[in-house]
Amino acid sequence: MIERDTPSQDKIVVSGFRHFFETADGPVQATDHLDLMIRAGEFVTLVGPSGCGKTTLLKALAGFIRPTEGTVLCDGKPVQGPGRERGVVFQELAILPWRTVRRNIGHGLEIAGVSRLERERTVARLIELTGLAGFEDRYPHELSGGMRQRVAVARTWAADPDVILMDEPFAAVDAMTRLTLQEELVRLCTATRKTVLFITHSVDEAVFLGDRVLVMTRRPGRIKAVIDVPGRAAGRDWESFKIDAGLQAIAEQVLRLVREERGATAPSAAMTHAIGARA
Amino acid sequence: MSMVSATSASTGLSRPASGPAIVWRQLRAFRILLPFVALVGVWWAIYASADFSPQVLVSPLAVWRAFVNLVTHGVMAEYASTSLRMIGFATALSLIVGVPIGFAVGVNRYAAHTLESFLRFLQGISGIAWLPLAIIWFGFSHTTTLVIVIYTLIVPIIFNTMIGVRAIPETYTLALRSLGASRLRLVRDVYLPGALPSIVVGLRLGMGYGWRALIAAEMLVRQGGLGDLIFGARTFGQIDRIMTGMIVIGCLYIVVDRLIVQPIENLTVAHWGALRQ
Repeated sequence: MIERDTPSQDKIVVSGFRHFFETADGPVQATDHLDLMIRAGEFVTLVGPSGCGKTTLLKALAGFIRPTEGTVLCDGKPVQGPGRERGVVFQELAILPWRTVRRNIGHGLEIAGVSRLERERTVARLIELTGLAGFEDRYPHELSGGMRQRVAVARTWAADPDVILMDEPFAAVDAMTRLTLQEELVRLCTATRKTVLFITHSVDEAVFLGDRVLVMTRRPGRIKAVIDVPGRAAGRDWESFKIDAGLQAIAEQVLRLVREERGATAPSAAMTHAIGARA
Repeated sequence: MSMVSATSASTGLSRPASGPAIVWRQLRAFRILLPFVALVGVWWAIYASADFSPQVLVSPLAVWRAFVNLVTHGVMAEYASTSLRMIGFATALSLIVGVPIGFAVGVNRYAAHTLESFLRFLQGISGIAWLPLAIIWFGFSHTTTLVIVIYTLIVPIIFNTMIGVRAIPETYTLALRSLGASRLRLVRDVYLPGALPSIVVGLRLGMGYGWRALIAAEMLVRQGGLGDLIFGARTFGQIDRIMTGMIVIGCLYIVVDRLIVQPIENLTVAHWGALRQ
């Protein structure tokens, strides 16, 4: 809360982000003059229809791609490439199958040259926080999908980045496990203050996890609306979320906004533009 | 029949369950030898069926005598060790050179695309087809043999390393780069372990092709080795020596493949392969 008093707390600033990528059918415009700002310590969720450019935005923030147009700033500096200060949690296939749970979680620290003793301490703490105790020496193929994602999350947190980018990290796990993982993520974030951008296409997930929910338009994506969600920092669980009238109203509002994008049938100006660009 | 039942009966007294199991295991071990026994049987039958001149066909017993003779005089050890040294040296050099090339090509999508057809083209031109040129350039020397064997060995190693690297999910490298990994780190922590099962497959294929190319090259180069042994024996019509050499060539290949390469492959494929998500 003290940090909020200082004026410049914009951790991530994206302005005029416009990106095209090549496909077999010619260039496709993923995003269109997208503007976005994330404050330090904030948990921002990004929700939008499939193919709206959510992942493109995340890749640009991670430094995996260069924006065709516009700027992507982290701590006021343009993102030049991947870096330790910006951790990424992928949907799947991200932890190394030939490393045990312990060695996967400690991998970032190993790369950073952290001493074995300190590494073990951090890994032990994260194993505790993510409920992986007893699985330290297992290999990923011996774990369930949910467990593997816990390892991926723990590995990113262990490396202690300022910003964490999460690309639908729980989309590939079963529904029941997903609920648990979401609650665990809330707890992890209250224990460790991180700036998080979390991409999802689940409205409930977006509202449940976020301090703010950003809704994107369909492709080419822009930010359509920003909705504040109060009370994330105090902790959250699904039972109370489902009966909280205020949160449910927000979820309905977000759902309406997302469905407007899905339901829209008349080609927008942007779409005609994209088609024109292809021809 | 009576022996089998006697065995199972005597062991059956102390441990009823394991009796038939032991017999079954012994039968299975024998099963591997069955085709060899059959081959020798057919050979002997053909030999006995007509009056062959020793310049055309000899009996298995004569081959066995030739083998014992070659071994006791140290001749076999001399020729076999030359061949084994050659294949060993060629394998080591091919791994040292081929694996890094495979990595370099595999990580670069454009390079991989560009070189794939070219590598297949080279695979099509067998090592033996290079022999005329190699002999012109390097003479009847060990260099010629080595060049042929390394060429034969290295292409499958490069090719399979490349395939192995390309099969690694991109997220592994992206995730590691986000953890601050350097290029060297990516090679050590992602490409090498990720491509290892494929590299071992390439090594095994390469050694199989390389062994055959080695024997062929030795036959023409005539500077020692098992190929030289059998081709030299032809000049004096020593059928027993030729057949002994052929059998040793086959046996040594089995020994190298089964006792050295296959265990490595099993270890990596069973261990690393199963670890793939």
